[in-house]
Amino acid sequence: MANPNWRTINIDALDPDSPANFDLTTLTPAVNPVSTADVQSLAGQIRQLLRGGDSEGALQGALENPPYGADDKGKEVHLATVIEILQSIRQADMSPILSRIYSAPGGTEALDVLMKYIYKGMAQSNTAGTTRNITPQATGFSQIHARGGGEGGGQAMSVLLSWHEKLVEIAGPGSIVRVMTDRRTV
Amino acid sequence: MPPPEAHHLFHHPIADHSFSADRQTLAVARENVVDLYQRSGSKYTLKDELTGHDKTVTGVDIAPSSGKIVTCAQDRNAYVWEPSPEGWKPTLVLLRINRAATCVRWAPSETKFAVGSGARLIPVCYFEEEDNWWVSKHIKKPIRSTITAVAWHPNSVLLAAGSTDGHARVLSAFVKGIDDKPQPSAWGERLPFNTVCGEFLNNTAGWVHSVAFSPSGNALAFAAHDSTLTVVYPSGPDEPPRAVLSVSTQVLPFMSLVWSSESEIIAAGYNCEAYRLQGSEQGWELAGSLESKGRPGIQDQREESALNMFRQMDLKGSAKDDTKLKTVHQNTINTVRSFEESGGQVRKVSTSGVDGRVVIWTL
Repeated sequence: MANPNWRTINIDALDPDSPANFDLTTLTPAVNPVSTADVQSLAGQIRQLLRGGDSEGALQGALENPPYGADDKGKEVHLATVIEILQSIRQADMSPILSRIYSAPGGTEALDVLMKYIYKGMAQSNTAGTTRNITPQATGFSQIHARGGGEGGGQAMSVLLSWHEKLVEIAGPGSIVRVMTDRRTV
Repeated sequence: MPPPEAHHLFHHPIADHSFSADRQTLAVARENVVDLYQRSGSKYTLKDELTGHDKTVTGVDIAPSSGKIVTCAQDRNAYVWEPSPEGWKPTLVLLRINRAATCVRWAPSETKFAVGSGARLIPVCYFEEEDNWWVSKHIKKPIRSTITAVAWHPNSVLLAAGSTDGHARVLSAFVKGIDDKPQPSAWGERLPFNTVCGEFLNNTAGWVHSVAFSPSGNALAFAAHDSTLTVVYPSGPDEPPRAVLSVSTQVLPFMSLVWSSESEIIAAGYNCEAYRLQGSEQGWELAGSLESKGRPGIQDQREESALNMFRQMDLKGSAKDDTKLKTVHQNTINTVRSFEESGGQVRKVSTSGVDGRVVIWTL
């Protein structure tokens, strides 16, 4: 007698009304695809600004054009750019820069993007070695690499933590909730 | 501004609350029963209990003029309760859903009500005279996930629904034989059942907690889990809206909102306090909290003696009692409703929350 294994039948495939049969992209905001080359050229322009000493302009430029539509490679390039800018700004300058960005038009959006990069940076700061390939990126930040990442990541982490502190002072917990909710990951 | 009137009813979360039209009766959803409280003096005392649901009650609404109470619960049922000499008489409503019901609201006409559900549909229920039976028609089409909130347009035909798929929708719930033909409005002219008059997604696609039409019905507000509140002004049928204004707030997300006038919204949620938002088609902004910080009773700490201080430090490990929030509500606010209106303006609102309190605020 045939003995089908009922528990392994994918019932969603048989039910036309099942949520598994939706086109899930209709539930997420539309993002334009960006090629890695574009991200790289943008990174070049931003580095130019940074070398010229205009770290605030560089930060603003990087936050205004997050490559939501890029692939993993492109997103990593942009993350490296943002982290580089964040590390180049002195602690005393953080709050004034953040409040200037916040009061500019579209400021909350820019600070939400910065929050995304801070969390992503925290998730990645110790992945330089072998652990990189297991980083799950679905939510934009992961708990697998918690706790500062030992010796190597300590420096980068402390920079990110002080940015995080200053950012929450200005953008509030609402910004954290937005990052957790947002379907457009960086 | 008089201080808020707080009623601490019990130590359970209140999923939803509703006042009768004369504001003498208060219905609150507590676990799988609905408690009816009667006003006596300045307090509300427990008078009656509506039992019948076998799972957590998620919604309760008292119809202002007929006094009928509709409740819905996670047991996938809804009941309409009518007063009778022997007490409240329940009538089961055929919802035909296979997931929990999440919210319920009477239409302003009180001839029908809408139930949100986890089954990705909205049963619109009305009374069938012939069969002496509440029956439902399903709004199905574009809904992709659980409905978390429903709200009626003043014309009793249009229905706003918020969903966990991140969309706030305006749908037609026109039932032939029950409703009169609606006047054409900015939302649409011909409105057969299940017409989609508008679908709005905010930038982050965060799931929607609450929706509401403005008093005139010509604007829609919705609050989502990304801590934003969005106001939509439609321009006409099949046209993009005139204005979609989104306020990204610094506070935690709002769970519920109510329009107090065309230019003001009261919203409350995970921050445990109610906020005022003001604006117009030109833009909206968070105007501040309803609570004046440093209310009396919070600041007037008793003068501490050194002995008392050390005793407290010994007992509790800290000199002052910081186990209480500085807000009236001590936990998330679930529901905000209009309590008193005059001249087209809401004068008082009531809030209820996870802390088991119902609070009445004067605006």
